[in-house]
Amino acid sequence: MKEILHDVERWRSRGERVAVATVVATRRSAPRPVGAKLAVSESGELAGSVSGGCVESDVCEHAREVLATGTPKLLTYGIADEDAWEVGLPCGGEIDVFVEPLPE
Amino acid sequence: MTLFERLAEAIEREERAVLLTVVEGEPLGAHVLVLESGERLGDGVPEAVVGSAAELIRSHRNRIVEADGVRVFAEVFAPPPRLLVYGAVDTAEALCAAARLLGWRTIVADARARFATRERLPSADELIVDWPAEAIAQVAPDHATAVVVLTHDEKFDIPALEGALATDAFYVGALGSRTTQQRRRERLLARGMPEEALDRISGPCGLDIGAGSQPETALSILAEIVATRAGRAGGPLGASTHRIHAEG
Repeated sequence: MKEILHDVERWRSRGERVAVATVVATRRSAPRPVGAKLAVSESGELAGSVSGGCVESDVCEHAREVLATGTPKLLTYGIADEDAWEVGLPCGGEIDVFVEPLPE
Repeated sequence: MTLFERLAEAIEREERAVLLTVVEGEPLGAHVLVLESGERLGDGVPEAVVGSAAELIRSHRNRIVEADGVRVFAEVFAPPPRLLVYGAVDTAEALCAAARLLGWRTIVADARARFATRERLPSADELIVDWPAEAIAQVAPDHATAVVVLTHDEKFDIPALEGALATDAFYVGALGSRTTQQRRRERLLARGMPEEALDRISGPCGLDIGAGSQPETALSILAEIVATRAGRAGGPLGASTHRIHAEG
């Protein structure tokens, strides 16, 4: 949380809303520990990370939706299926990411 | 003050706290923030989870807790662990330099003012010139503090170990040969220290990595401290069946 606070405050001082994604569980290997966060501003700026870059762009799409609807969501990412072009983790792990609008 | 503002303030002031968030079930996204002092903000999280806040804070581990059919993510906020070194010897500086790399707070204490100087210990965040009992009382080691005793002098080592063992320190280590450890053990037993309290002492402290230089010795001791905090034995990852990273 500490690593994203500065950016979050900067975005909010510009009047932007912010969504925060948090790794809430990992199974087998995972690039970032439980508690790792990615903050996304309304205009699409990013701070922090929830993986080694593998799932961030997909999380951003969900973050936009969460900001639009105001409803949080829990996402699960598993092993990437290359043929299907799915978003996933090449390390063979699985992560649960909770995306929520940051309360005022 | 909103819950988020209070959380930002707690992080800034390095207060211990746990943020509870409903991540599955209703009310989805509900938050409760509980501080170590018992102060509480927000609602919507099952009382069974809120009631375990003190225990969650103490475990210093982020994790999912389930109750009343909902899943709650518990995120723990705490200042970095502290390392108290009694004995302002060369290894103390190496140990502080290594601990600072991990972002830990470092404190060195020694009764000998000539030893406990800023010049000799540039990596110590805090220097205390005092006898063991007084220095330990001042630092007040808690469950997030490791204590290492390095003086090589029984008149300091014995009271420093006695003092450290009377606290909640998660690690108590002492340098010295196996002969020294044995003699120290007998002295502490003779002074009335119970056998099970003595079993808490890691001595000679450190992991068996064949350390030679001061920085290597510091690495060996710090590796044991980190492993103790994570509840691991400290062997090669290649031979381990545990998860690679600490849980949370």
